[in-house]
Amino acid sequence: MQNKLISLSKAVEMFTRDGMMYASGAGLPVGSESIVFGREMVRQKRKNIHYIVHSCSQQVNLFCAAGVCDKVEAAFSGLEVYGFANGVRRAVETGRVIWEDWSNLSMSLRFLGGALGWPFVPTTANIGSDIQHKSAFQPDTFPCTTKIPEITDPFTGKIYGALPVVKPELAVIHVTMSDVSGNAILLGTEWGRFELARAAQKVVLQTDYIVDTACIRQYPNLVRIPEVIVDAVIPWQLGAWPQCSVGVYDSDEDHMNTMNRLLGSDEGCAKYIEDYIHSWRTHDDFIKVVGKANAQKLMNNVTSHLLAPYRSWIKSDGEITELMEQSLFEKKGSKT
Amino acid sequence: MNYSKQEMMAVATGREICDGDLCIFGVGLSMLAGYFAIAHHAPNARAITEGGIYGSTPVGGLPWGIEDNRISANATCFTGAIDALGFLVASGRCDIGIIGAAQVDKYGNVNTTGFWDKDSREHRSHPRVRLNGSGGANEIGCGCKRVVIMAAHEKKRFAERVDYITTPGYLEGGAARERYHFVGGGPSAIITTLGILRPEPVTKEFMLDSYFSFSSIEEMKQQTGWNLKIFPDAKAVPEPLTRELEILRSIDSTGMLKKK
Repeated sequence: MQNKLISLSKAVEMFTRDGMMYASGAGLPVGSESIVFGREMVRQKRKNIHYIVHSCSQQVNLFCAAGVCDKVEAAFSGLEVYGFANGVRRAVETGRVIWEDWSNLSMSLRFLGGALGWPFVPTTANIGSDIQHKSAFQPDTFPCTTKIPEITDPFTGKIYGALPVVKPELAVIHVTMSDVSGNAILLGTEWGRFELARAAQKVVLQTDYIVDTACIRQYPNLVRIPEVIVDAVIPWQLGAWPQCSVGVYDSDEDHMNTMNRLLGSDEGCAKYIEDYIHSWRTHDDFIKVVGKANAQKLMNNVTSHLLAPYRSWIKSDGEITELMEQSLFEKKGSKT
Repeated sequence: MNYSKQEMMAVATGREICDGDLCIFGVGLSMLAGYFAIAHHAPNARAITEGGIYGSTPVGGLPWGIEDNRISANATCFTGAIDALGFLVASGRCDIGIIGAAQVDKYGNVNTTGFWDKDSREHRSHPRVRLNGSGGANEIGCGCKRVVIMAAHEKKRFAERVDYITTPGYLEGGAARERYHFVGGGPSAIITTLGILRPEPVTKEFMLDSYFSFSSIEEMKQQTGWNLKIFPDAKAVPEPLTRELEILRSIDSTGMLKKK
């Protein structure tokens, strides 16, 4: 198995491009999501992204506010109890971002179909609603007959819907822990990460912890994303901040609200990018931005016990630095 | 009155849940109503969230989301979207789902997607007000045996026709749902800030079933955007009992809903 560790900035440079079909998370608005990867995409000024995402998150909120994406396909655009996502609302209500609506199951089924190489996925939901009849990508057609076309069950003659499958060019997925080659264990709900990881053409993991492969061999049943489908692994503790990573840290209530408030205006968004993206380059500086005491507080939470079985295999910062030097990408980099 | 309108809504919604039901809740008031029912009168009801977290009760206050740490601390199963919304909901296994509505119409169709200026579903541009979209509500509306809709009872929200059907109720009414062979039975109640509406068995038009003690038939009619018909046996909903309120408030221990 190859060592696929990569730095955050190099991963964004290598794996993303303007105008690409990019997918993230397949987490939910408060939970595991590859937010630090999104911050780096903002720093590297990616644009015209066609964003495929299961549900909204602060990454979606940031991309809409900062003009990183111009098309989104998703099932949900809010931040649950944290309220409406202000960056998303502003972009959609002004027409800056075209938002195509699906539902939570249909996004997962579209990933599943993409993963299996199916031409389409039959569905018993979405039909009869405006998720079927309205397409933001084809606004002049109502009822739209090409977004979720009606199909007839060849066995019973009943009418159902056909969901188009999706195979994003890249999926960046937040995981709790991974070994250096990308065998990953996800604490908390995996939500749509299993099928997204298999639908995408390339997969980059953003992980809170690097663990020894001995840990993976101890719990192979729990490895829902295996290294065979993973291209690169970014070690970045607290990478889902201000959202939560079950077993590791809580969502940061203050920052969830501050971030959402600032993303509600162009000036606020510019300030957010200045204060929370341009203000750090290294992980140490990132932690200073989160606040060391705040990070400690977030990591002392009601799910900490879930990490107990894995703690002895977690690599230290020093060990990760050494492992990074042996990675595939560093070796390649040294040749050029 | 020693309780809030929201608390009355949560108690009335909780009363729709029967012991033994397999239930799916969203966040906020829906989850409060659900966990209230389990603690109060339905100890064998099984709660799932569409986030794929089963068997848990909130720790440290009501969760911020259907996947956060407060709902993950004592779960018996972590799974995912296809399991929760596919194997358990779209399959028809789930007995009851509770969803919220920003706008609802007389056939129980729910809009949580947006408001448009043009008074028609044929709007061609982006929405004037973007709401949250479906999440898993569409699957819940198609697949659950019973669906309870919760909504603030205001005229602009109780429309003849919704701007956008996010979650199908009875569509155009009558047997319209049958064309799609939905495995679920459709909405069984709309619990509002003023009372309860239920569908007429044949036309599927929602009618006034009962009103809260702080409300009235007149007020409910006034706040409804269609000509709200009244069931002949319309009556007042029993007020929350002391024990119901105690249990409800113990679940919302951080007072998240009171802050709103």
